[in-house]
Formats: sequence, C-alpha cells, structure tokens
Amino acid sequence: MDANKKNGGWFTEAVLNTFFKEWVWNTFCVKWIWKSFCVNLVYKKFDKWKAWIYLAPAIILLLVFTVWPIINTVRIAFLDGYSILGEVGGETYSFGITNFLDVLDEYSGFEEALVNTLLLTFITVPLSTILALIIAVCLNSIKPLQKFLQTIFFLPYVTNSIAIGMVFEAMFNIVGFGTADPSFGIINNILGVFGVDPINWININSSYWANMAVMVIYIVWNALPFKILILLGGLQSVNKQYYDAAKIDSTPRIRVFTRITVPLLSPMIAYVVITGFIGGFKEYSSIVGIFGDDMQAVGTEHTLNTMVGYIYDALGNNEGRASAAALILFAIIFVVTMINLRVSKKKTHY
Amino acid sequence: MSNQATMHEKNLQKVTSSQRVMNIVVKTLLYAFLSLMALIIVFPFYWMIISSLKSVTEYRLPIPTLFPKEILWHNYIEAFSAANLDRLFLNTVYVGVVSTLLSLVITVLCAFAFARLEFKGKNALFAALLGTMMIPGELFTITNFITVNDFGWIDTYTVLIVPFLVSIFYIYLLRQNFLQIPNELYLAAKVDGTSDLKYLWKVMIPLSLPTLISITILKMMGAWNSYVWPRLVTTSEEMRLITNGLRDAFTDMSGQANVPVQMAAVAIVSFPLFMVFLFLRKYIMKGVSRSGIKG
Amino acid sequence: MKKKLLALLLVAVMLVSMLAAVSCGDNTDDNGDDKNQPGVAAGMASYDVPAEGYDGSAVTITFYHTMGKTNQEVLEYYIKEFNKLYPNITVEHAPMGGYPDLRDQIKTQLTAGAQPNIAYCYPDHVALYNVTKKVIPLDNLIGSKIEVTDALGNKTILGLTDEQLADFVEGYYKEGAAFDTLGTMYTLPMSKSTEALYYNKTFFEKHGLKVPTTWDEMEQVCEAIKKIDPNCIPLGYDSEANWFITMCEQSGSPYTSLDKKNHFVFDNETNRAFVKRFNSWYKKGYITTEEIYGSYTSGLFTATEGQRCYMVIGSTGGAKYQNPPTVDGQPLFESAMATPPQLDPSNPKVISQGPSLCLFESENPQEVVASWLFMEFLTTNVEFQAAFSMETGYAPVIKSVQNNEVYKNWLSKANGYNNLTAMSVQLALSQVDAYFVSPAFNGSSMARDQVGLLLKNALVKTEDIDAAIAKLFKDAVGKCKFSVK
Repeated sequence: MDANKKNGGWFTEAVLNTFFKEWVWNTFCVKWIWKSFCVNLVYKKFDKWKAWIYLAPAIILLLVFTVWPIINTVRIAFLDGYSILGEVGGETYSFGITNFLDVLDEYSGFEEALVNTLLLTFITVPLSTILALIIAVCLNSIKPLQKFLQTIFFLPYVTNSIAIGMVFEAMFNIVGFGTADPSFGIINNILGVFGVDPINWININSSYWANMAVMVIYIVWNALPFKILILLGGLQSVNKQYYDAAKIDSTPRIRVFTRITVPLLSPMIAYVVITGFIGGFKEYSSIVGIFGDDMQAVGTEHTLNTMVGYIYDALGNNEGRASAAALILFAIIFVVTMINLRVSKKKTHY
Repeated sequence: MSNQATMHEKNLQKVTSSQRVMNIVVKTLLYAFLSLMALIIVFPFYWMIISSLKSVTEYRLPIPTLFPKEILWHNYIEAFSAANLDRLFLNTVYVGVVSTLLSLVITVLCAFAFARLEFKGKNALFAALLGTMMIPGELFTITNFITVNDFGWIDTYTVLIVPFLVSIFYIYLLRQNFLQIPNELYLAAKVDGTSDLKYLWKVMIPLSLPTLISITILKMMGAWNSYVWPRLVTTSEEMRLITNGLRDAFTDMSGQANVPVQMAAVAIVSFPLFMVFLFLRKYIMKGVSRSGIKG
Repeated sequence: MKKKLLALLLVAVMLVSMLAAVSCGDNTDDNGDDKNQPGVAAGMASYDVPAEGYDGSAVTITFYHTMGKTNQEVLEYYIKEFNKLYPNITVEHAPMGGYPDLRDQIKTQLTAGAQPNIAYCYPDHVALYNVTKKVIPLDNLIGSKIEVTDALGNKTILGLTDEQLADFVEGYYKEGAAFDTLGTMYTLPMSKSTEALYYNKTFFEKHGLKVPTTWDEMEQVCEAIKKIDPNCIPLGYDSEANWFITMCEQSGSPYTSLDKKNHFVFDNETNRAFVKRFNSWYKKGYITTEEIYGSYTSGLFTATEGQRCYMVIGSTGGAKYQNPPTVDGQPLFESAMATPPQLDPSNPKVISQGPSLCLFESENPQEVVASWLFMEFLTTNVEFQAAFSMETGYAPVIKSVQNNEVYKNWLSKANGYNNLTAMSVQLALSQVDAYFVSPAFNGSSMARDQVGLLLKNALVKTEDIDAAIAKLFKDAVGKCKFSVK
C-alpha cells in the first residue's frame, strides 16, 4: 500500500512537471479558472444529458439484446419445470421455486459443478495473470526478435479451436492405458527424461487432482495470448519517461517491476483479473474438449462438470432449471466481482 | 530531449563490467524464458499445420505422429475447391469490417462517458453493465432469436452485425485505458474551448491506439470464429460466414469430419487474419509516449 | 460503499420488477397459446390433409440436414429430378453441421415458429421437437388416397401405395412409430447404417479361427487370439451405448418404456449380469472401447506396428476407416465383415441408426403437402436411394434398390482390401430382419447417454464389482429420472 502511495505521488508529480506546468499552467492559467467556473455552473445541466447521449447507442442495444433476455431468464427461473418447447406446445407452468430446489437435488450434480468451477477459477486467474504479466514485461524489454516473438504469441488466435483440443489430447493422453503396450504421450515422455514415472493424467481411474492439473494447464494456456496482448498494449501506453528515470537512478529490475510497471499497469491488470474471473466462472468448452461430453475420466466417480456445463445440459429441455442455475451463478460472480472491484479500486492507480 | 540523451550517455559510461555481465545473464535468461513460452504457446498452431498435411488414416493413428509421414498438399486443393469459400469469405470480411467499425464507435463513446463525464448513477450503471457479462450467453440465444425473428431480420446482414455490437468487455477495457490519461489534459482542453468530441478524436483516441487496435483484432477474430449465431439466423447459404462453411462442408454421414482437410481450410482462411495482425502490429508497438503527449 | 449499495439495490429492483413481469407475462402467454392450438382430439394425434391435396401452387420448402459437400451434390441433382415432376415446388436445403447442431437449431427455431419444413432427424430428437406438438403425424398423409397429377401427366395417390409400403425395410419403417403406444407415425426412414463385426480375415484364416456368431464363441475366440498374440486386444467396441441397448434387446430384458410414469427400466438382474460378464472380459484384456483405449478402435484395427486388435464392432457408416493399411499400394491383410455376435443366433438383433425425415407444421397447408411429396420422393425413389447409398456408404431403406443395375454393379465391387464400404451395405441389407426399435420419448436421449456411461465405467471397475455395478445402475436411473422430473 505504502509503495503505491509513494508511486502515486511520484506519478502526479511527473504529470505536474510535464504537461501541467509547461502547457496548462503557463498558457491557460487564467482562462482555466474562468472556464472551469463556467463548466461547473453553466453547462452542468447540459453535461448531464451529454453523457446519456454518448451512452445511448450502447444502452439501446443492450436493452434489446441483453437486458430483455435477462428479464426473460428471471421469469423462466420462477416457473416450475418450465420448458420453452412445452410452452410453445401449449403447456402452462405455475409460479414457484421448484427449479431452485431441483438444482440442489441429489442427482443434480450442481454442487460438484460449483466446487469445480470455484477451484478452477481461483487457481487459474492468478496464475495466468502473473505469467502473462511476466511475459509481457519481458517482451517489452527486449529489442532484437521482439517483433518475431510477438507474432509467435499471437498465433494461437489464428489457430482453430479443434486443433487446440486435439493437441491437448495428444499431449496428456495415454493410448492403451493398462494394456501391455501403452503410449504415454508427449508430456509423460518429457517428464520421463527427468526421471518422473508416467502420470495418469486423464485416462481410466485417473485422480481428481491429475484431471484438475490438466484443466488448469489448459485454461492458463488458453488465456495467456489474450492477456499478453492486453498487458503489452497497456505497457506500450506507459510513458517511457518513468523508465528513463529509473535507468538513470539504476534502480534494480525487480524494483522497477514492482514500483513502476505494476502500479502503472494496474488498470490493465485489474481489467485482466476481473474479466478473467468472469471468464473463469464461465469455463465449459475446454472440459468437453479434453474429457468429452461425459466430462469425466472413464471409471472415475467425480465429474469435471462446471456451472456453465450444468446450465448447458439443463438447457436441453429444462430451461427453468437452467435459468435457476444461471441466476445462482450470476449471484456468485456478482459477489466476487464486487470484491474484485473494491480491491482494485484501492490498489489501482490511475 | 537533448538533455535527457546526454544524461543517458553519462549513465552508460558508469556501467561497470560486473553490471555488464549481469546484464548479459539477465538477457540470456529473458530470451530463454520467452523462447520456451513461445514454443509452448505456438504448439497448437504447429499441430494445426501438420494435421492439415496428414492423410485421414494417419490422423486416426492411435499414436499421433509429430510430423506427417507423407505430406499431402492435396488437402489444401480439396479444401479450396469444397464449399463456396469465396462467397463466405466476402461475407465474413464485410460483417467483420462493418461490425468492427460500428463497435469501435459505440465503445469509444461509451468508454469516454464512463471515464470522463460525470452523471448520476454512473458507477451503479457501470456495475450493472459488468453484471450483464456474468450471465452465460447461451441463455440469451433463444430469447434473442425470437426477438430478431419478430424484427424480421432473419437472413440479413443486419442480424449478423447488430446484436453483438456492444461488448462490455471492450468498453471496460477502453475505459481502463482512458482512465490512465491524466484528467488535467481534459480540463486543459475544456479551458481551450475544445469540444468533447474533438478532444476525444485528437487526444484520447491517439493515446489509446494500442488498446483500440487490440479491440479491432479481437472483434475481427470474433467475426471469423462465430458459428452458432450465424447458422441460427441465416437460412440461405449466401448469407453464411466462413466458419459455417468450414465446419459443415467436410462432415460425412455419421457426423465425423475429415479433419485434415478441415484443418487445411482453417489454415487457408486464417492467413488473411494473420496478415491483418502483422500489419496492425506496427501500430500496437508504436509507443504512445512518442506519438501522443510529447508530440 | 454507498455506490455498491446502490448497485445492489438496483439489482434488487430489477429482480422485483421482473417478478412482476412474470405474473403478467404468464397470463398473456396462456391466452395466446390457447388460440393457436388446433383442436387435437383425445388419443391419437392427427393431421388433416387438405382436401384438394397438392394444388400445384408455387411453394418454397426448406430442408435441413447434416450432409457434407459431396452428399449435397447428389441431393441437388435429385432435387432437379423432383422438379421435373413438380416444377412449382422450390426446395431450399441447408447443412446444419452435426446432429447436435441440427437439433439445437430446430429447437430454437421451433420456439419462434420459424422451423423448417423437413429435417433429418433421430427418433430422440423428434420426441424433443414434439413437445411443441408441431411435428406432423404422417398417418393421414401415408394413407391418403387423394389423387395428384405430376408435370409429366402421371396420376398417383398422395399417400404411399401398397407396393411402396411393402418395399420399405420393415425394421427401418417401424422406427417411425416408436413415439407412443398408439403407434403414430412421425418419421420416414431416409438412409440407414447398422453395426457390424469387422475382422482381420487373413489373421483368422492363418490361425484357423472361426468367426464368432454368439457371445460365448466370442469369448472363446478372444481367448484363442490372446494366446496367439498376448500383446493385442482382440476386440474393440466403438459405442458403449449401442452395446448396452443391443444386449438388452438380445436378452429380452427391459431398457426403456413408453410408460410415462416409469420410463427407465434398465436397472435389472439380467442387465447387471451382462455388464458384469463384460467386466471380466475387460480384466482379461479381451476388449476395449474407443474411450477406454484413448483412440479410435479403427486405428487399432488398422495399426501396422505395436498393439493392434483383430475384431471391431462398429458402425457400417464408418466402414471406410476399417480398410486394411497399405504398403506401396499392397494391402497388408484382408478385412471382412459379419453380423455382430448374438445371444440367440436364430433370433438376431442388431441396432439400426442413421437419419430419418420428419415434417413440421407450417402456416401454408400447401407447404406441408409439398414437403410430404418431396419426402416421399426421397424415401421411395429407387435412383435417389441407390445414388445416395453409393455416395455415403449408408444402406438404402427400400428393398427394390437391389434390383437396380447400377447399384448391383456397385455392390458387386465389394472386397475386403479397399472397398469395405460396399461390403458394409451388403451386410446391412442382409440383416434387415434383425433390426429393432427403442422407444423414443422426451428423455430417451438421456437414457442412451447414461447407459453408455454406465457400461464404460463398469468395464474398468476392479474392486467390489457387484456393489460398484449396482451403484452405477442406480445412479444412471437416478440421473435419467432427474432429467425428466
């Protein structure tokens, strides 16, 4: 906290020095006082409207394509056993909370999905953010090969998702597990070089934590390119002067990183973390990609289903249940995001 | 500027030999780390390329080969001739470009309002907007389909472009970027009598160019990869997008796809996207400090 | 903090206002639906064929399918042929990706009343669609004696003639009536596949092995093969769900029923017994499945080095993947096919799969009749059925196709070196009496998923097998029941 404040002071000072003193203060000092008076008093009313004009296109579209579906979702969640096909077919549904009770049913699998989702999110978001930050900073601090490496880090974007799923299968899958002549996959072969026995990652009777490890690696890997792109973009916007100053003071790299880079990049980091949490809670397709539609390794008792997977399954012909689950998911993400926003507001430096 | 340069030179002279060794070690580690990460991250792309050159039999081998035994360029010819990719390609470019442009306008205006303007309920509204990101989009599909059907938009470009113009993700991203720009600049501009729009155009947009370009790339990518919605709302082949063609053209009766040819097709259509990135990368990398505030 | 509270408050207000919307929305929906609902008499659902039949008016019908590019070319050619008979009917067709994509698409469109006229379907899907009561019961159309005249001047009846009805492979045709106890027809078969036993003929002949016709023989053959090549897995089974369902049928034990109160009846002694038997086979290394093995079983069958298998039970639709591998153009062995093993070879049972066609309601009755004409054309036209079968490797649904010269010629080219596809169709045609139908209802797809999962998990259990199997059965039934609760 202390470091942040210090940097904050330093930043303000720099701002004051660069533009405020030279540009604003010297040239427009008198005008500014007068104008700000006008802005605050005369135009205030107009300003209030102006903001809404800027927001109007987005708000109109959101009302139609986001808010209305949400209202519909809430309506459906409180209709017992609602099925949209059934409604089209003339069935009627009574108002109630059966859907929410169903979600907690013994065979619902909701609790398991919830635990999986929370675990995955709270592990992968910090991991991928830190890794992406380190890569972005490294990438930003080199000269030769920078363009080349940046292009490489972009390539996952133009890679089809089917290919990504296939690679993972090839990397962790043990073909012919339990038979006389299994093929252990790339990862196990690499581990073998270091003397590690083959690990049963995703095959028959594999452990929950081995499955989770694969999921974590997959999700972190999948999330990296986006985060690198955003953080690198943020780094490029950071004023070079701070680094020049640090160079002159020959500040150690670690200190430059923690005292300059992270605070200056904090809005972008906050963005990456918050959207990461939201995205993490919605994790689904990656599990199907690795573990198939059953979302579990053969022979195991645990499924790797997530909240969105649960919702997706229920959407088959039970939209009521799906909507109820979605509202519960919404409530959870909402709370976490609120906490995130509060923390980031304290720690973020604008 | 010149003052700084001389200071920098002086600083360089002071570097001792031990620091120089340290520097080399750090640089080596840096490159080693980046190369390793690059290798890991690029692997799926490599996999896509080699898969596109394999035969179906080789692709289905129990133990996948890391390099095709026999390189089948023929897959690319087959992919090219199947599906009317040209029409789908043009559609995708059109939808991608139009929706990116419109989306950028909406996003910039919205982010500006949230970052710079004061109005009642700003934070509550922003929190509510963030809230909408939290509900899984699958739930919206059916309601939205009914809506666009009522609007009579089925099988038009409008329905491919309009419903997804607003992305809270991008508004949020750009707002974060705008917040980084010192408020003093805005106040100065106000004093100067510069209108908000002009300020936005002359100061805010140049200063957040890297972010805007990131958004452009992501949005284009979205058009390229969208599959479910275009299929749902287009009934004629002429209105579909590239991914529809790719996914649908190479399936056999049992619903299995000819993956190598499919991969070849993906590689073909990814190429323009890759070129767009190469072109835009220059602008992302253009440091703002050089182009914006100082200039 | 204040602002947070405000945001929370805003959400709360939103919720409340939505709740208000619920109660209002509910009532209006009821009224709207009542008006739209045609008076369906108690008992059998029916569709009133327009008295004039097809009046020749210009209509456009849409047809959704999952065909790839090459299959679409065949379809397009025959749409032109169809238009020679009915020039005013414009057929628009569209591929929808895979079957799950197709199902989701139609489901969504049904909610907005924007459904296609005809679609590829599986029975499970039709059961789902029919929750809306917008799938047209075909009985009145099939039985219609209304006369229609095509552009060539031929006069036929709108419905199916007795010859046409008799021409359908019975097992395929029956699938259309699997939806209720009254036997209402909802689908016509379009193109079918089945399961077959593929085996390495060269290997079998070399070691004097007999191709198994029963499960007991299968066990013996597996044992023998395991002695010859201890490193191999003698048998690969592609689909666990098919296996379970076929075993139920062969042993005459219940799987699912159309009884609304008790759909899921597969948890019984017989079924647990065969699951346990296969578990012991797995333990001895006799069998594997695609998911247990971790790769396509066809890959194991056609492997040139390392571990391999000598028998695969899989779809005839995937026959091309079972063609033996070649080195310098020379096949390494000969493959052959047989009917999968039975419990009672005198009363064989094999599953039938592949798309059927169903019709949807439309505002314009002429669209429905026109769609019916097109559906009738696709399912009963010999040339189309022959051409489509040759293109896809799926079996035709009418018997008379086998008299077609071109088709006969194509079938005769079947061999175990590079043309297993034709051989698979021959086999499918030869076991027509063995096809059975499982009931289709809202929830039947869940049953299928669950029994597949159950069998797969049961096979690999190693300890306390009886208890583990009992638990798997109980969970599967529980999940099925929950899904339709």
